Amino acid sequence: MSLPSSVAGFTVLPISYAGTSTSTSTHYIYARAHTGSKKANTSKTQTLPDGRTLFLVNVPPDATDRELVLLFKTSGTVERVVFDLDAQETPEQEDDDDDSDLSDDAADANNANAEEEGDVDMQQQPRKRRKLDKKPKPPQVTPLPTKPLRPLRPTGRTAHLVFLDASSLERALAPTQKLRTWPTSDSEPTGLARYAALYDSLRPPLDSVRAHADSAMELYEYELQQTRREAGKYKKGEAIVDEDGFTLVTRGGVYGQTVGGGVGVASKVFQAEMAEGGKNKKGRKGREGKEKEGFYAFQKAEKQRNDLLELKKNWEADKAKIEKLKASRKFKPY
Amino acid sequence: MALNLKRKRDGDVTPRKTRKLSEDDLDAVSDVEEDESEVDAGEDDEWGGIEMAQNMTAPVAESTGPGTKPKLPPSGEELRVIKDASSLFKSSTFKLQVDALLPTVRPKAARIPPLDRFLQTLHGVLTNLPSVAPQHPLEAARKLIKKGVSVPFCLPQPLEDTNWKVAFEKPSDITMVGSWPNKISVKAKDGCKFGIDLAVEMPSDLFQEKDYLNGRFFHKRAFYLATLAEAIQNSKSLNVELTYQSASNDPRLTKLVLEPRNDETHDDFTKLNARVCIVPVLPANSRIPLQRLSPSHSNIRISADGDFASIPTPLYNSALLMALIPRAHLLSAFTLNEHTPSFGDALTLLRVWANQRGYGEGSRLCVRGFDSLGSFWTVLLGLLVFGEESVNKAKRKPLGRGLSSYQLFRAALDFLSRHDFEKTAAFHKANQGHRFPPEEYEAHHEAVLVDSSSTLNVLAGVPIGSLQLLRTDARKTLEELNATSVANDLFSNVFLQDKRDLLTRFDTVIRVDISSAQPRSSSLHSTLDTGSPANALISSITALLREGLGNRVNALAILHSSPSTRPLSQALPTSPNVLYIGLIHDPQNALRLVDHGPAAEESDPSIAEHFREFWGDKAELRRFKDGRIIESVVWDIKSADERSRVPAMIVRHVLQRHFNLDATAVQSWQSGFDQVTKLPEAVSRVYMGSGVAVGFKGAMVAFDSLVKALKALNEQLPLSLAVVSPISEQLRYASVFSPVPLSESLAQSLPQNARYLPSMEMILQFEKSAKWPDELRAIQKIKLAFFERIAMALMSSVKGLKARVVVGDGVTTSKIQDVSRLDIVTPEGWAFSARIWHDREATLLDRLITGKGALPHINFPSQKKKGKANQEAVDAKEVYLRRFIHAPRHHRAITALNHRFSAYSPTVRLVKRWLASHWVLHGHISEEVVEILCASAFVGDGSDLHLEPDSGFIERSGVPGSKERGFASVVQFLKDWKWEEGLFVPLYGPESAAGDPLPASNNSRSGVWKISTEVDREGNVWTVHGPDAMVANRVRALAKATWDYLQNMEEGELDVKAIFIHPTDDYDFVVRLDPSALPRYAQNIDSSLAIGGRYMNPREDPDESLRPEFDPARSLYDDLQRIYTNTFKIFCDPFGGDRFGVVWDPSLRQPRPFRVLGGFSSTPVKKQKETEKDKGLVVLNEAGILCEIERLGAGLVRELTVQV
Repeated sequence: MSLPSSVAGFTVLPISYAGTSTSTSTHYIYARAHTGSKKANTSKTQTLPDGRTLFLVNVPPDATDRELVLLFKTSGTVERVVFDLDAQETPEQEDDDDDSDLSDDAADANNANAEEEGDVDMQQQPRKRRKLDKKPKPPQVTPLPTKPLRPLRPTGRTAHLVFLDASSLERALAPTQKLRTWPTSDSEPTGLARYAALYDSLRPPLDSVRAHADSAMELYEYELQQTRREAGKYKKGEAIVDEDGFTLVTRGGVYGQTVGGGVGVASKVFQAEMAEGGKNKKGRKGREGKEKEGFYAFQKAEKQRNDLLELKKNWEADKAKIEKLKASRKFKPY
Repeated sequence: MALNLKRKRDGDVTPRKTRKLSEDDLDAVSDVEEDESEVDAGEDDEWGGIEMAQNMTAPVAESTGPGTKPKLPPSGEELRVIKDASSLFKSSTFKLQVDALLPTVRPKAARIPPLDRFLQTLHGVLTNLPSVAPQHPLEAARKLIKKGVSVPFCLPQPLEDTNWKVAFEKPSDITMVGSWPNKISVKAKDGCKFGIDLAVEMPSDLFQEKDYLNGRFFHKRAFYLATLAEAIQNSKSLNVELTYQSASNDPRLTKLVLEPRNDETHDDFTKLNARVCIVPVLPANSRIPLQRLSPSHSNIRISADGDFASIPTPLYNSALLMALIPRAHLLSAFTLNEHTPSFGDALTLLRVWANQRGYGEGSRLCVRGFDSLGSFWTVLLGLLVFGEESVNKAKRKPLGRGLSSYQLFRAALDFLSRHDFEKTAAFHKANQGHRFPPEEYEAHHEAVLVDSSSTLNVLAGVPIGSLQLLRTDARKTLEELNATSVANDLFSNVFLQDKRDLLTRFDTVIRVDISSAQPRSSSLHSTLDTGSPANALISSITALLREGLGNRVNALAILHSSPSTRPLSQALPTSPNVLYIGLIHDPQNALRLVDHGPAAEESDPSIAEHFREFWGDKAELRRFKDGRIIESVVWDIKSADERSRVPAMIVRHVLQRHFNLDATAVQSWQSGFDQVTKLPEAVSRVYMGSGVAVGFKGAMVAFDSLVKALKALNEQLPLSLAVVSPISEQLRYASVFSPVPLSESLAQSLPQNARYLPSMEMILQFEKSAKWPDELRAIQKIKLAFFERIAMALMSSVKGLKARVVVGDGVTTSKIQDVSRLDIVTPEGWAFSARIWHDREATLLDRLITGKGALPHINFPSQKKKGKANQEAVDAKEVYLRRFIHAPRHHRAITALNHRFSAYSPTVRLVKRWLASHWVLHGHISEEVVEILCASAFVGDGSDLHLEPDSGFIERSGVPGSKERGFASVVQFLKDWKWEEGLFVPLYGPESAAGDPLPASNNSRSGVWKISTEVDREGNVWTVHGPDAMVANRVRALAKATWDYLQNMEEGELDVKAIFIHPTDDYDFVVRLDPSALPRYAQNIDSSLAIGGRYMNPREDPDESLRPEFDPARSLYDDLQRIYTNTFKIFCDPFGGDRFGVVWDPSLRQPRPFRVLGGFSSTPVKKQKETEKDKGLVVLNEAGILCEIERLGAGLVRELTVQV
């Protein structure tokens, strides 16, 4: 058995499952020290600090953070587990854009957010807005009761492990041919039991559903108020500034003015017409065309000639098609 | 037209004038001329006169020759051809296709000369035969049999005491008759040979005037034929195989068949694939008086009592007439051919069409009566061209002679589809008017089409059922040709495909072995008239079945194998032992449960007597609700499935009563098909015992009462409920199993693995309100609040009802997608699941997707937001459209179809079961698309969908009337369907076509099927996620295999269940599940053995509450499909399947360089040699994945079998 100990710069970590039946198959995880890309923004570096983050490829689809923590227990203490970072990056940036007018410390909120995204839950969505405004406390969403459930991810995905210190990372990457045994945690069931648990947990008691929905709506109302307040009295919204620093002139402010006030903007009907791509222009053209059509004798003749040519062309095309079919003996009925 | 083209060459007429001349006529032509003169006035001379017309083609050919671009406008001649093609034919393509077809079914001219040489030799042999002196017929036969030739004497056989003699003289004349001399022969199916009929005229001296009596003519003819056979056999110059063949297995119509032995001599015409048939005929001046042969004359007079004298013998008389008219037919065909230029082509088209449908000889089943009815088609066309000899005033107008072959073909189909041979006779125009009184034909023949000589009914002996079938087929083809939408391959559908299969033609197919039949009443007379006991038996079966079935069927056809040749030593033909009875139901009457007979107060007792005699102990006197007391027959059925079997039950009963044919001799396949959509006996017995309302009706009643209960809650809800639309297949008669409720008490009496409770989905729509939050996440949350409120209110208002809010599906993490729903279980045990439709969601999602917001003209600086958020919105939009827009519409359309076509719902169920049992339904093919696919077999071009079923329009004839036929049609379609070309199904009727085509989702699709409807022009709502190319090919292969297997019906070896057994050999590995853990195992096609306590081992918590829709096998399947989407394809039967089949993605099994986002579980590749450079290759970790599957399915998976 001389499997390569590393592949394309990744250390190969063979894993065996003890719990399962007779089959002695091995799963392979590929590990490497995480290096943040150069253009990465601050938030990402803060989430995954260089030097003590382990990058894993081909994590088993049913792995939980707890199991990964236990797996690397011998190397050191794991601070945090982040699954499938690449798949999650984009939505967070998206949130940035949405929130930019609301919060001044988006990065901070985002940071907290990323932490939570790790353990996929149903209810953590509104929590990120906790820090938006200190003065009036935003309402807290009552979470739905959940049972610990093993999430199943597509196979061959990645994960980041953040250790407490850099030395653990080195230990984790030390090349070894030794099989590691996967620490299966029993608190999260698998298989049939998991499906039964999932079924029940998706149907929580009615009162907790109500509490959850009510508190979520309260939060929504609260946020709506916040936005309104910031919109100001007469400005009605804030001017939209694009990436290059230009202010967009958009209808939506008071008295037909731009958002944020200032210049007047054309009406929506007009805008819609323009958006459709200049109907008027077409109309004018049509009128002109109508006058000219068939005005001169030669035009009429040309048209007839072209029609006939077209007819002949189609005929020839049909003929060619049939010839082709004939070649493949298509016309022998039996 | 040619006149208009005429121009003087010497140019004394100016071009201007010519133009004027031509403008009077066809515009198209004038256009050309104008163009010509406009473009190049100097070339005016190009137009020749009429005399030039022949040469016209030459310049045309030049201009279209290879290398030259078709720059020149088409010349006049060319234009005429083009215009003709599109106006005289269906389309120019069609015309070209017809032109390509015709030569393939005609004899090849190059192979004819050997035949001519052979015929010359034969003529020489025949004209030099020595005569045989008159002798006693039996004595003569004995002499011949010593030489190996038996005389095909027909009934009544000559006796020892007959006082007439048979003799032989050399033929007085030999003529070629039939289609060959007129060059209108058409190749027959399955490589059957062209027939060259030689009419050998027997000298009139051999016959006496009274020979028309008692078969004496036929005996003399038989002896003549046998003598000829003997002579040819001994002739040195002719190297041929000699056999007898009898048309319709009637020994009176025996002919001698000569087939060449393959010896490569100069007169060996094997290559032509033809045979020469010798038919003895009577000379025109024969002594047999023609008036004795009219249909009403009785010419058989042998019996103890003198009654026979008065009973007419129409079939006998026709058989005799056959010896008189071959030459007349030859001449009339010749006239026709001369008179109508397109006659030959039209006849060819018609006969190819007919041959493809079994109206002609072939190795497969042939429609009774049509095996040797070549003259029928000629007479038919003659009737159309020359018109009818008038009987009453109503006279058919003759068609013009200038019709194209396609138009003539269509006219023939039109005649066949309209003319009711049962009611009215048809008479070809005859020169001397009617020879026999027309009423006589109608009185003594089932169907009448009298030829041009006005003597012979060419349809004598053809059962009316065969003509009914012909009528249906003609109508079906006309419908196809008239369809407004362009069908996929119309031409091949009409002419090129073999349409002889039983299952797609008939609603009910029954196979009868008549070898043991004992007719209850047999008449000697009918045996003598029809020519043989077997023919008499078949015609009596047909008659009795027609009486028994009455108006239940539109067509009752008898099919059997076509008559074969027999060696010379065998005198009489062997009749087929096996008959196939095909019924085409009349949808209005077919499934009637009670047949009414005469009323009790009927004055004539013989009518009631006859009714009782016909039905036997089935007939009973019944008193009906309206007070009538009527003789009646009641067909009792136990379940709705059995209802479709009523016609078959009647056939069985009639055969049993009148022919003593028991169940073993009569075979039909319906119960096999019924069985596969039924729950196992053990389960259905529990339901029967409990007395709860089950089935589709029960489900709908439960749904309606739930809707009522919901509407009653209006006070307690913030918004009032506007619409509740069902979208579940169980509420539209489309689920494989008829729905059953499952209450707690019922569950106790059922085994663990029969406790699956499907929940029926519905959509709640509230009144419009401005109070909804304008944000997607908040909308999803407020739905939860709604559900909670409804649940509380429902539970307090309806006692015993349980409602629970479901907050997600465990997979979707998107917060903008609609995931929550309300589970409701009624006190009776019906489960429903409700969702809320809020139409603002669509607008909000659109904003997210396009990124435009409320201000359409402003393009926000594109932030490259094609990331996950956008994808999430697109996915949410797709789910939204499918669930809230398309599903309710689809549901309504399908429900309407069910009311319209009674066979639609069973067909859908059967097709779903079939696809499921081959492991592709649900996982790869959505249920809805199956429903649309099945609908395509029913709706035609959708033009009559809006009509009420009972508004009196003519039902289209392509519509299947039973589920077996529907199933076969769908399988046939799938077998041939090129899914690349898509399919359009007009599901919603014409009025919806004008309506808004719903927005198409812009998601990328993985499915390759493209099935579009009026509201889904893109055709991807139900096929966006599958089947992909691999699965689609698989389905095609499955359909092919199933279709081929279904054809075994013709041999009588068809085990219906075998169609539903899936072969697992080609899977890479198979995952076996533990049946005891599957709540749906009872639905498994093979489950009957497992029910009955074998898997009753209790689980940990025996008193666990019911979990509607809980199906761990499906969850596991969905999870595996999602997790390993790029690693393998997984298949399973959604109905209690206890196995998953898996096929690896073959490309992953090759080593490939390691990638971070490879998307599959891999193992590093070992280095071959130490010195080798490490390339960093990895390969699929198969063992590891197997182990993972076992882990993911712990408690469900029993074992994994890897197949090599």
